Amino acid sequence: MCKIVRNKRAITPVLSNVLMMLIAVAGMSIALAASYVITTNLHDIMGERLTVEDVWFRDVEISIYLRNTGKVPIQLAAVYINYTAQSFTPLKLDVQSHGWLNITYSWAPNLVYHIKVVTNGGTQIANYYMSPA
Amino acid sequence: MRTIICLRLRRNRRGISNIIVVVLSLVIITVIVSNVVLWSYQMNQLDWERAREDIRITSVTRGTLPPVWFMVQGEYKINRGSRTGGAFTDTQTDNGVYETFLEATAAATYALDMNGTFVIDVFTYPFAYISTIEIQMKYRASSTEDTWFLLAYNWASRTFSNNGFNNTAGDPSPTTWDYYAVDITTQWQSYVRSDGTMYIKILDGQAFMGGKEPVTPPIRTSIDIDFLGVRVIGDWTILTFRNNGPIPSHIVSLWVIDSTSHRRYDADAVVNPGETLSYLRTDIHLPRTQYTVKAVTEKGNIAIYFGG
Repeated sequence: MCKIVRNKRAITPVLSNVLMMLIAVAGMSIALAASYVITTNLHDIMGERLTVEDVWFRDVEISIYLRNTGKVPIQLAAVYINYTAQSFTPLKLDVQSHGWLNITYSWAPNLVYHIKVVTNGGTQIANYYMSPA
Repeated sequence: MRTIICLRLRRNRRGISNIIVVVLSLVIITVIVSNVVLWSYQMNQLDWERAREDIRITSVTRGTLPPVWFMVQGEYKINRGSRTGGAFTDTQTDNGVYETFLEATAAATYALDMNGTFVIDVFTYPFAYISTIEIQMKYRASSTEDTWFLLAYNWASRTFSNNGFNNTAGDPSPTTWDYYAVDITTQWQSYVRSDGTMYIKILDGQAFMGGKEPVTPPIRTSIDIDFLGVRVIGDWTILTFRNNGPIPSHIVSLWVIDSTSHRRYDADAVVNPGETLSYLRTDIHLPRTQYTVKAVTEKGNIAIYFGG
């Protein structure tokens, strides 16, 4: 203590070292957090798999039965019929769970429809389905 | 050497900071890369397995088909007549290997009366879903001058009977291989014990009617039985799956679709590579019109079958 009082120039290197340590710790924390976020997002995007079990053309709606065959839960973000966004009942599917996705749509018989389902993670599944006679 | 490195590090302390930063950065990069690579490997494996999965529905049938026969459990008990060749096991498969019986002689008449025990698997085929029971025999006789009857033991009246059968007139004696089948119709519950046991009796015309031989002079007839079995007919669906892929397939849902409805059923059937599996469902009732059956696997593949 007496040494520090006698040699005041020594305080500057101590402070600078402490500040540098704080900056380094903060920087590494940010880097770690960023890496966690990046890897989690990559997990979610890479782990999404969706299967269309059935498509049913009903009165004024098209019902799609979906199964989550991936490794992460899935939330649907958008549904397109013939490249036009449609309103739909929100659907969240846990791993290996399944359910109906109902889309209100006035379809015509004997026509081919392009249906695309997009998840929050960006996964898309699209196919052509023919309406019944 | 170590002393030199220590001295250099003491003199140039910024070098230590650089090393720490580089090492920590490397750790972070390694963690991210390994995480992504491992996850990517897992998902690639999932996709790879899905691509290699090859499951097919080879048949969808209602009721008894493909036939599940219940065969005799032991040697036939011969009340009148005799066994002249073969064994009861020869009557368990329709393969040309047979068991032979000969009519007994008594007071210028010839008669054959024998019965066997059959056990229906009531755990697999619950009574609630059985609509009728069929008895089928493949046989031939040494002469055409006789008639053959199939009877079953009626557990209510405690006698052998063919009351309620769709055919009570018997089958004219064939000299070449012939199938004789009777349907017990709605009376079947009287003929099956709660544990599934049935006694089936084979009689010739003489033994059945107790009268005189229909021909004069009487002919002593022998019969060769190639197959005798009992099967249940009910309101259920049997799906046959074939796995042609190199990995097991886990079927998780079934769909029965016709022009008016799309019905989904949960399923839990594993078909091993190269295996054919018969999957019985008592809750699936096939439409009478054209229909489509779909089987969805856990990996997301779909097998489709068109029927009707």
